Amino acid sequence: MTRKIELREGMGKSESFFQMAWRRFRRHPLARLGGWVLLVLYLGALFADFLAPYPEGQSFRQFSYAPPTQVFWRDADGRLTRPYVCASERKRNLETFQVEVVTDCSQGRYPIYFFVHGEPYKFLGFIPANLRLMGGDWLVNEQAHLFIWGTDDFGRDLWGRIWYGARVSLTVGIFATALALIIGVFFGGIAGLYAGRPVTLSVGFASPEFRRYLRWGHPLLAWLKALGWTLVWLGLAWLLWITLQGFLQSSRGLEAILAGVIGVALLGAIGYFLIWQTVKLDLDTLIMRTTEVLAAIPDLFLLITLSVLIPQDIPPATRFILVVSILSFVNWGGLARTVRSQVLQLREMEYAQAAQALGASEARTLTRHILPGTFTYLIVIITLSIPSFILAESGLSFLGLGIQEPASSWGLLLSKAQQTGIIAFTERPWLLIPGLFILIAVLAYNLLGDGLRDALDPRSRR
Amino acid sequence: MWSYIVRRLFQLIPTFFGATLLAFIIIQLAPGDFVTRLELDPTQTRESIASLRQEFALDQPWTVQYAKWVSGVLQGKLGLSLSYKADVWKVIWPRILNSMVLVVLSTLLIYLIAIPVGVYSAIRQYSVGDRILTVMAFIGVAIPNFFFALIMLFVAVWLNDTTGMKILPIGGMTSEFVGGVPYLEAPWWQRTLNVLWHAVPVVLVLATTGTAGLIRVMRGQMLEVLNQDYIRTARAKGVAEGVAIYKHALRNAVIPIVAGIGFLLPALIAGAGLIEVVMAWPGITPMLLDAISATDLYLVMGFITVTTILLMLGNLLSDLLLAWVDPRIRYN
Repeated sequence: MTRKIELREGMGKSESFFQMAWRRFRRHPLARLGGWVLLVLYLGALFADFLAPYPEGQSFRQFSYAPPTQVFWRDADGRLTRPYVCASERKRNLETFQVEVVTDCSQGRYPIYFFVHGEPYKFLGFIPANLRLMGGDWLVNEQAHLFIWGTDDFGRDLWGRIWYGARVSLTVGIFATALALIIGVFFGGIAGLYAGRPVTLSVGFASPEFRRYLRWGHPLLAWLKALGWTLVWLGLAWLLWITLQGFLQSSRGLEAILAGVIGVALLGAIGYFLIWQTVKLDLDTLIMRTTEVLAAIPDLFLLITLSVLIPQDIPPATRFILVVSILSFVNWGGLARTVRSQVLQLREMEYAQAAQALGASEARTLTRHILPGTFTYLIVIITLSIPSFILAESGLSFLGLGIQEPASSWGLLLSKAQQTGIIAFTERPWLLIPGLFILIAVLAYNLLGDGLRDALDPRSRR
Repeated sequence: MWSYIVRRLFQLIPTFFGATLLAFIIIQLAPGDFVTRLELDPTQTRESIASLRQEFALDQPWTVQYAKWVSGVLQGKLGLSLSYKADVWKVIWPRILNSMVLVVLSTLLIYLIAIPVGVYSAIRQYSVGDRILTVMAFIGVAIPNFFFALIMLFVAVWLNDTTGMKILPIGGMTSEFVGGVPYLEAPWWQRTLNVLWHAVPVVLVLATTGTAGLIRVMRGQMLEVLNQDYIRTARAKGVAEGVAIYKHALRNAVIPIVAGIGFLLPALIAGAGLIEVVMAWPGITPMLLDAISATDLYLVMGFITVTTILLMLGNLLSDLLLAWVDPRIRYN
């Protein structure tokens, strides 16, 4: 006779690692908040054309630095009504002699309608659409204007440009992190895998090792490789020779003598390597020294210097790609170091050694057995490095070296606040709003990253 | 220990050459030529251009130019700034000093605030105060420092307008007049006070990110130490709570924080950059930006060289401090 045994709650249900992590993550209220805020911001960026009443580049020269348009809720009798705006124009105040935007409701009231047909645009770049969140016929005919967060120096609607700029500011972090990650994982993985196992770079032709080297593999391939390193060494020698020659031409005295001695010694060393010595190179040392070199220059200065390489007068899309490239070039070193230390740890794990013992190639061991072990760690690193890229991009654009007009990004929009001097911008506080958006996005990413770190930590079994 | 320091210093040499070579190549790749600019400058005579060409090997390939530059650095000469028509070292030295004023003051402020606040947060874990401080620390880490600098200027202008007095300075490092006389003729203590007064908002902004980050670290360290067995032992044997916290826990928790000073200094040097630009503080970054847009090669190289050396020495100092305070770390 069989009896059904009731399972006690929580028993028998086995959870995978990510299920447990998800459960832990959901207990993190601040991290959830961060996730929701980011979702809203990214949706806003996706539907920027819908949110903005005007196209990205549309400017109203007569309304430069116009304050936020007053939106009225009550009609002339004081009753609640559909929100409306009034026509406004720019006038010089005859008492203070300052140019002010004067709103005049006697010329007509223009009610704000929602989900209206406005200026046509292409959703996602190819779907024709013209649905916009706010507006009305008066907005398209320019009888009145709707700048709910004021305008910038060219009289462009700041609210709309914040959402257009969100496309750049919010994606720059993701793309830069992805690129830095590809470079970092590639070099970090190689460094970790080859640490302590030097690679033979070249073998001297006259050394006994060269004969052994020839017997070892396919002769044609071996000779091709030998040709390759010969060319590399000869190229180096040529470069050195030119430098030495030029240096001696423009210097004299002790400087010239010392340079001559060093130059000849280096040339001699190259000849010695070529004929007699086997040169072995630890890829790990090479890669780690490179990251040290990159880390030795202060990040901001390296970024500023690199940004000069971006040519002027290139399309915004190209500029975006170049900004992403220099951001990731400056920052891949840290990621490579993290990946390397993880790989070094995992390389010694039994399962990695078992894979090698079973005859798996090095590439297979690295990609199938070692790198997956770094994934949870990488997820956290990624969420925490996206905001730092967002900050870096906004800083660069703030200095006018990153994204440039007519494209828009939050850093660039914020730079308008200071464009006309320190005193003047207190009269235009709305220009500070883009900074608030940078703060919110970075804060949300940090909260999310913190929550993910706690949730993905395998030691915390809650 | 000395052999360790010497070995580390030797290791810095290839890094230094690599970094300067990288910077040199980048600047050389940039459009805008150093030599043509020189020839278009009407104040330069043919002879002076010829001698400059000779001295810096300007008509030679860039490898020779780099070698000449290195040779100059080894002789203690950083080259000539074209925009200022003066020795690079003389041009950048006051700027570096100005930036150092900010860095030193910010470091002091960061440690003075972060350690007590972190300890408070750890002792009163999950209290209202701790939660408020945690949120503030999160915001402090996330706020872009140039945005905060703009807000600080905004507040300063608003405060001065509403009170009708000059409570906070609005940009710059010195006033034109101090106590009724021009700045340069004022006594030294008045000049110092004037610079310090100008530094107040800048240092406040610069220290924010560091303070917020360090509060989190200090809190974590303190919590970890407070959960150790020896703290329980101390409490069990009847040590007063204050002694347990400040004598037994704090001394151990503060070790990595103090050792981290070497990492903080270089971060502050670069971090001060955008704030200097916003608040018109005559530091390194504003001049570096000018130098880069003017393709003033040797001036840019001078700044990068000096900051790179500072950064490498900061890291070395940090490693040494860490090894010195933590007996578990050996020099090898």
